[in-house]
Amino acid sequence: MEDIHIEGVHEAYFTPTVNFEVATGNCEIAGESYLEETSKFYSKLLDWIRKYTTTIKGPLNFDFKLSYFNTSSSKCLVDILDLLKKYQNDGGKVTVNWYYDDSEEELEEVEDFILETGLEINKIPME
Amino acid sequence: MESAITEKRRMVDNIAISYTGIFDTEILSVLAKEIEGTLSPDDKVNKKVFKIFIELAQNIAFYSLERETNAEGNDTGVGTMIIRNYSDHYVFSTGNKTTMENIIPVMEKCDNINSMSREKLREYRRLQRNMPAGEKGGGNIGLIQVALTASNPLEYSLIKCPDGAYFYIVSVRIDKE
Repeated sequence: MEDIHIEGVHEAYFTPTVNFEVATGNCEIAGESYLEETSKFYSKLLDWIRKYTTTIKGPLNFDFKLSYFNTSSSKCLVDILDLLKKYQNDGGKVTVNWYYDDSEEELEEVEDFILETGLEINKIPME
Repeated sequence: MESAITEKRRMVDNIAISYTGIFDTEILSVLAKEIEGTLSPDDKVNKKVFKIFIELAQNIAFYSLERETNAEGNDTGVGTMIIRNYSDHYVFSTGNKTTMENIIPVMEKCDNINSMSREKLREYRRLQRNMPAGEKGGGNIGLIQVALTASNPLEYSLIKCPDGAYFYIVSVRIDKE
């Protein structure tokens, strides 16, 4: 099983920076997410999590540091959180930190992700 | 009569950004840069307008009745975007051609969204987010997002075109903080 490293790009579309590490279980999705083929991009990340949680079965530490994501991306982010919740229910060790842009609206969004998925998420204002 | 003309002139004078044409990726990125970088000195307000722009512009690209093929050969919707700048708020509007059949459910969604409290609207977004991807009505969550981001109701109007189609305009107010 291999790590995922994707360099963020801010052009016509915005690709987030992704770093998923097999050895440590440290995972980061950062930057901006507004993609041409949202499902295709995130399905690779979802596959990685599925594989890690069924074969490696180590701890997962997720840092979300997204300053912007469109509604299509938010659907896929919920899919990731659902997988993490499932892993946690099955006994996996999961920590999730969500760094949000300091505004009421973005704090609400994190709170809604918590309500939506039942996952415990640490809410941290971005610097 | 005079006041109507004054009102029209004021609307023209207050235009900060306007565009009519194809809503393809290249154009959207140019408009996005304008909004993100130069619209207002307040980055938080720019971000709000940007978020609204992305959702509504994508609706035009996907659903506008009037379509063109861009340089890369992609079929893309044609429409209009106008941002008006007033002393304490912006008004963001988009317009595109549509049919009565297609637009009635969209207008009903706007009414439904406008009738909800913020809490209800967040609940509705959570519900919509769990619908399978690619479902028809994907524009739904975009409109909910626009209302939540703006914290103001969605205003819409419909104009009959000479060719029998309809021109649908949706506007939302974004308060300067």
